[in-house]
Amino acid sequence: MNATKALLQGRQPMIRFLGKRTTPATIDHTPHAHPASPTHSLPESFASYRQKAQQHGPLNQYSTGHVGSRPGASLGPIEAGKGNFFDRSELPRRFQRLAWTQAEIEAVESGGASQFA
Amino acid sequence: MFRSVLPRAVPRAVRPVSQSTFCAPNIYFQNRLRRGYASEAEDKDLVIIGGGVAGYVAAIKAGQSGLKVACIEKRGSLGGTCLNVGCIPSKSLLNNSHLYHQILHDTKNRGIEVGDVKLNLGNMMKAKDTSVSGLTKGIEFLFKKNNVEYIKGTGAFKDEHTIAVNLIDGGETEVRAKNIFIATGSEATPFPGLTIDEKRVITSTGAIALQEVPKKMIVIGGGIIGLEMGSVWARLGAEVTVVEFMGQIGGPGMDAEIAKLTQKLLSKQGMKFKLNTKVTKGDDSSDVVSITTEAAKGGKEETLDADVVLVAIGRRPYTYGLGLDNIGLETDNRGRIEIDNEYRTKIPHIRSIGDVTFGPMLAHKAEEEGVAAVEYLTKGTGHVNYGAIPSVMYTHPEVAWVGQNEHELKAANVKYNVGSFPFSANSRAKTNLDTEGLVKFLSDAKTDRILGIHIVGPNAGEMIAEGTLAIEYGASSEDIARTSHAHPTLSEAFKEAAMATYDKAIHY
Repeated sequence: MNATKALLQGRQPMIRFLGKRTTPATIDHTPHAHPASPTHSLPESFASYRQKAQQHGPLNQYSTGHVGSRPGASLGPIEAGKGNFFDRSELPRRFQRLAWTQAEIEAVESGGASQFA
Repeated sequence: MFRSVLPRAVPRAVRPVSQSTFCAPNIYFQNRLRRGYASEAEDKDLVIIGGGVAGYVAAIKAGQSGLKVACIEKRGSLGGTCLNVGCIPSKSLLNNSHLYHQILHDTKNRGIEVGDVKLNLGNMMKAKDTSVSGLTKGIEFLFKKNNVEYIKGTGAFKDEHTIAVNLIDGGETEVRAKNIFIATGSEATPFPGLTIDEKRVITSTGAIALQEVPKKMIVIGGGIIGLEMGSVWARLGAEVTVVEFMGQIGGPGMDAEIAKLTQKLLSKQGMKFKLNTKVTKGDDSSDVVSITTEAAKGGKEETLDADVVLVAIGRRPYTYGLGLDNIGLETDNRGRIEIDNEYRTKIPHIRSIGDVTFGPMLAHKAEEEGVAAVEYLTKGTGHVNYGAIPSVMYTHPEVAWVGQNEHELKAANVKYNVGSFPFSANSRAKTNLDTEGLVKFLSDAKTDRILGIHIVGPNAGEMIAEGTLAIEYGASSEDIARTSHAHPTLSEAFKEAAMATYDKAIHY
């Protein structure tokens, strides 16, 4: 013990106990190039996709990163700002109206009988 | 009466609907014509396409983190290339072929007389299959234990949140997820002009399943896979010739001094090497497979014949049939999915991990990424140190390294110290009569911080773990040297090499 103490007076190991790991309070989630990326840069498509996706939504408004840790309402309104208008067709496909198929129209008109004809 | 005749419960492909949307008041129409914008089935928190090392590790980690997770795998067994046709079966063959070779050639001087030693290749393959099936079933058990839904089928993107799955047992299904991981791995790169039949012209997949020992085998590519599989068949009696385009074996990461020594040791075991040689064409139309080679910088042509040609020129990312076009995801010029530092593709809820994206194609790198990507999802932060990922070649002796090699340090104009220690001066290696190889440290000339560790010798693959830990925590060679290592162990060679780096080794 004493010998180790004496030794450490002359030499400080490079490996040190840093304490228990904790999740940082603030984390920057903006996209950066992957450390193993050969080009060390992100393709242009990353920025352009985000710009497009952010137009009417809260993308990139990360806080903690926990799945479901914040209610959707706290992410802010998803409606377009005052004076801004957009068509439903500009939204991602999952929000767009589905087209009626001929089979559906016939099903409605025939009271469902067309499905079993 | 009409109702009793009609099969009312027959599932019908309906548009995605939610309970809250319009329902026809007519009872007959209910559940048939509802329309809406959300899926009736609950979305998964995470769906992983690919049940290889990256995918299954991420799935288990996600299950442990309480996410509702599903993993889609088309092979029919989990574990991907590594467990089914890569690391694991090859290690079984390497271990057993080494035992066979040792019993044949290295028993007399140990005082062991053996009788007639015969190879039973069928049983050696069975032993390999037993190891593989035990491990893959083990992952299925871990899936159940951690509430991971295992979907056996081929997944393809239908849209940014929906995966259409072609089930192995027939039929189709769809899964929707808030987050999706692409972990579809890689496949062997074919050699132009040679048709892979996995019998005479083989990749690593065929190399672990040959029915008989070929008389002559040519290995195109002197990287880790080529040398490991070449070793197996050389030990079992094949005449193995390795043709490598570069001037050294082991690939670009292996330190040149270590590569040279390894080549010498493998040559002693009977393997032949043709370095700086390129294969210009191959012909598999006759009984023997022939390849034409010439010096990499141009020169005289030579034709080599073999019963089996192993194509081991590398691997390429596998995204075939994944439907990346359906969601507009692009790959780079080598087929890798482009990601950012949190494994996100340009579509932020779709991430990519493992061989299919950047970084070395190593199972342990994929595992790290599997955990880190899930942690980015659940905690917002993850960790993979790409500067501290070890590489191991499981020949005998093993070769292992982590960090940078001398060539890379010189290219980066970094001043460094070198220290090495041979296993021939290590007591345990001496008692094991297994003394070939050395441990080599490279540390920063000014700070003594370890920059690279390179080992060729017995147990190098296990020993490199200590080196990886040292690099991960920024240790100096003196830190290692002042840490007690048990005697007599091979790891003392590791400590002594560290001593030789900042001062002098005791036993050499």
